[in-house]
Amino acid sequence: MLDMIIIDGLSFALPLFIMAIGGIFSEKSGVTNLALEGFQGFGAFIGALVVVSLSGVFGAASRVPYYAGFVFAVIGGGMFSLLHALLCIKFKADQVISGVVMNILALALTSFLTKSLNTSLFGNNANKFVLGASERITIPGLSEIPVVGAVFKEVYPFEIIIVLVAVVMWYVLYKTAYGMRLRACGDNPHSADAAGINVYRVRTLAVFISGCLSGIAGMSFAYSITANFSPDIYLGYGYLSIAALIFGNWSILPALFACLIFGFARSGGAAVINQLGLPSAYNDLVRPLPYVLTLLLLVFFSKHNRSPKALGQVYDKGRR
Amino acid sequence: MSEPIVEFRHITKRFPGIIANEDVSLSINKGEIFALLGENGAGKSTLMSMLFGMYEPDEGEIIIRGKRERIASPRYATQLSIGMVHQEFRLVSNYTVAENIILGLEPERKILGLFPSVDIKKANHDIAELSERYGLKINPEDVIENLNVASRQRVEILKMLYREAEILIFDEPTAVLTPQEIESFLKIVEGLRQGGKTIILITHKLNEIKAVADRCAILNRGKLVSILDVATTTTDEMARQMVGREISFTTPKEPAKFGEVVLNVEGLTVKGSAGLDAVKGVTFTIHSGEVFAVAGVSGNGQNELADSIAGLVQSSSGRITLNGQDITRASVRERINAGIAYIPEDRHNVGLVLDFTLRDNFPLRQYYIPKFSRKGVINEAAFDEHGKRLEAEFDIRSSNGMDTITREMSGGNQQKAIIAREVDMRTPLIIFMQPTRGLDAGAVMNIHKQIIAERDRGAAVLLISLDLDEIMDCADTIAVIYNGGINKIAPAGELTVDDIGLYMMGVGKTA
Repeated sequence: MLDMIIIDGLSFALPLFIMAIGGIFSEKSGVTNLALEGFQGFGAFIGALVVVSLSGVFGAASRVPYYAGFVFAVIGGGMFSLLHALLCIKFKADQVISGVVMNILALALTSFLTKSLNTSLFGNNANKFVLGASERITIPGLSEIPVVGAVFKEVYPFEIIIVLVAVVMWYVLYKTAYGMRLRACGDNPHSADAAGINVYRVRTLAVFISGCLSGIAGMSFAYSITANFSPDIYLGYGYLSIAALIFGNWSILPALFACLIFGFARSGGAAVINQLGLPSAYNDLVRPLPYVLTLLLLVFFSKHNRSPKALGQVYDKGRR
Repeated sequence: MSEPIVEFRHITKRFPGIIANEDVSLSINKGEIFALLGENGAGKSTLMSMLFGMYEPDEGEIIIRGKRERIASPRYATQLSIGMVHQEFRLVSNYTVAENIILGLEPERKILGLFPSVDIKKANHDIAELSERYGLKINPEDVIENLNVASRQRVEILKMLYREAEILIFDEPTAVLTPQEIESFLKIVEGLRQGGKTIILITHKLNEIKAVADRCAILNRGKLVSILDVATTTTDEMARQMVGREISFTTPKEPAKFGEVVLNVEGLTVKGSAGLDAVKGVTFTIHSGEVFAVAGVSGNGQNELADSIAGLVQSSSGRITLNGQDITRASVRERINAGIAYIPEDRHNVGLVLDFTLRDNFPLRQYYIPKFSRKGVINEAAFDEHGKRLEAEFDIRSSNGMDTITREMSGGNQQKAIIAREVDMRTPLIIFMQPTRGLDAGAVMNIHKQIIAERDRGAAVLLISLDLDEIMDCADTIAVIYNGGINKIAPAGELTVDDIGLYMMGVGKTA
């Protein structure tokens, strides 16, 4: 059972984590990002569309559609996020409203497009793209270690991708000149501007990155939780990752910790229901557990958290 | 030595409704300290903002090193080796000194010869060296938010030097410094000049100009009045030209006649926003007919002290009594009724409802009394009448009379409106918190006269200010606050500016 909790916990926590990193990029640059939910859904939609289109060409055994799906989910999430960037940065719209609009728009647009593309391209009336569950890999040797070995057991390939991307993102945010400028824009855009930094460009790129990373998350959920792309993908995981990044005080490592708590709360709850032999309907009761946990944790631990100073502030060069 | 490095030729700059600069021509020589003197709104900052590329002139041209330049952005100004320290520092608060200085020009190294990353070690080393060379004491690894104002200013100077600026512009550099810090700032400026830099000081402090500047241009209402050789001009003459009329910088006042004790504060402790004690066991009394002035460096508990007496924050221990009545736990409204008027530091967020009209702002603290409303319905005629009376009595100027949205008024007139509202309540205690911040000499004079008038009417006045001149001008009793505690209380005549400056830095504190 412990193995199961670890395996399921990780496969839920890591997509959350990569999305939270996206949120950190956006918010550290000063752009409030409630749109992660919409980004992940739109990314998954584009990815799933590519998978469904390619699987006819490559055949069921090929792994090409799987990885192409992730590449296009990244592109799809990124492109969609540019709309948020455009509204917030170029047109100086309210960032909270823009974020909510993104989420509603993503849901509406992808539901509509899924249906109409199914009709026109694939000749069926389904409201989903069927993907099937992702394959799983067990790493020989490492997975034999007692307890901890479960981390390497039945791993989805996307989990490995996520870990690699997360390391790169950590390096970009904390070690490179771009990362330093990005964080400066979120604290005091005027000083960044005075230092010759193009605040608008830094922020746009940050939002774009958040879209790309959310795309990975959305595609991962589509391949693990739902095994297809449908409007069911909008379950609020985007908001959960926002909770994780706030709980993690806008830093990458603490956000990982938060995501792991959420992941294990979810898989642990399911395991308990399972163990007690309760009907699967009780799983619905367990599902809100991460959210309830979030609330409690935020109440107790977020007192000393500090959001980026200029978070949510529209930057207007002319105004001082 | 005397070749011009910057020349303004017939510069005119208009903003909607006003001409900020009109046909200004002047030239600044390489290696000199050039001061720009004028009241608020005289156009000094606008002129320098054009040199730094924040605005472009509508007419006229700017010549840098003999070449006509169109300076369209601060970035281009930086390329021309022009640097500027703004009044409000442009620093990233959670970054270290070094990170702030290198921002935008980060030295890089390659990890494993492959991955580019910011070379913070080299930055720390370079900046330590740079600060050494110009005698600017600073630790590159300190985080900005832990530094005091004077250190932050040094960071801004280093930022310019790191970018190899040759022409350094300072906008009101000493407004927030203590006398001792001002002295060391002026030494730094001297040092920079000896290092071959050209320095432009925007200021309205005559003593500083006299102390370091070579030449001084005086602006009045956007026009150049004259360019003076500082060594051969008296400060009185500069002042006369700046204001355009004879002006005395001290407020005439009769000796104070203290009456009964009005405010008694005992062991007052107040928590600040960070949860730590910002005011620590402060005890003092103010009598009727006394101006009790609190001097101190910004952030030593002044805000919390004023807010807790006015009732905006609750104290955690101690006792406040007003005319013998215990108001320690009283609400703001109870305190208004007990007789406290408050002119807060933050005019925009605390003093006024900016998007209300002038008419609606006046009765803000009294709208509920029968004169202004009956059974919860406001009496607009009474609002109007009250507002018009105050407008006339206190000479408040606005574009649209009672219907003016206060956001659109000048800072001086906003402050006049607040003072009118508070003074008109004729309370036994009146608190002035930084009443003249950002106002020009004429307005400052008026407010000082009002403070004295309130005292002479028999009010107890609590004046909290960062401006030592203001304190010396108005106070009967001076208290110096340092780190939340009162470090010294003495009759005004017994302390010199230098004494106060030392107490402000915590000297004489045994704790």
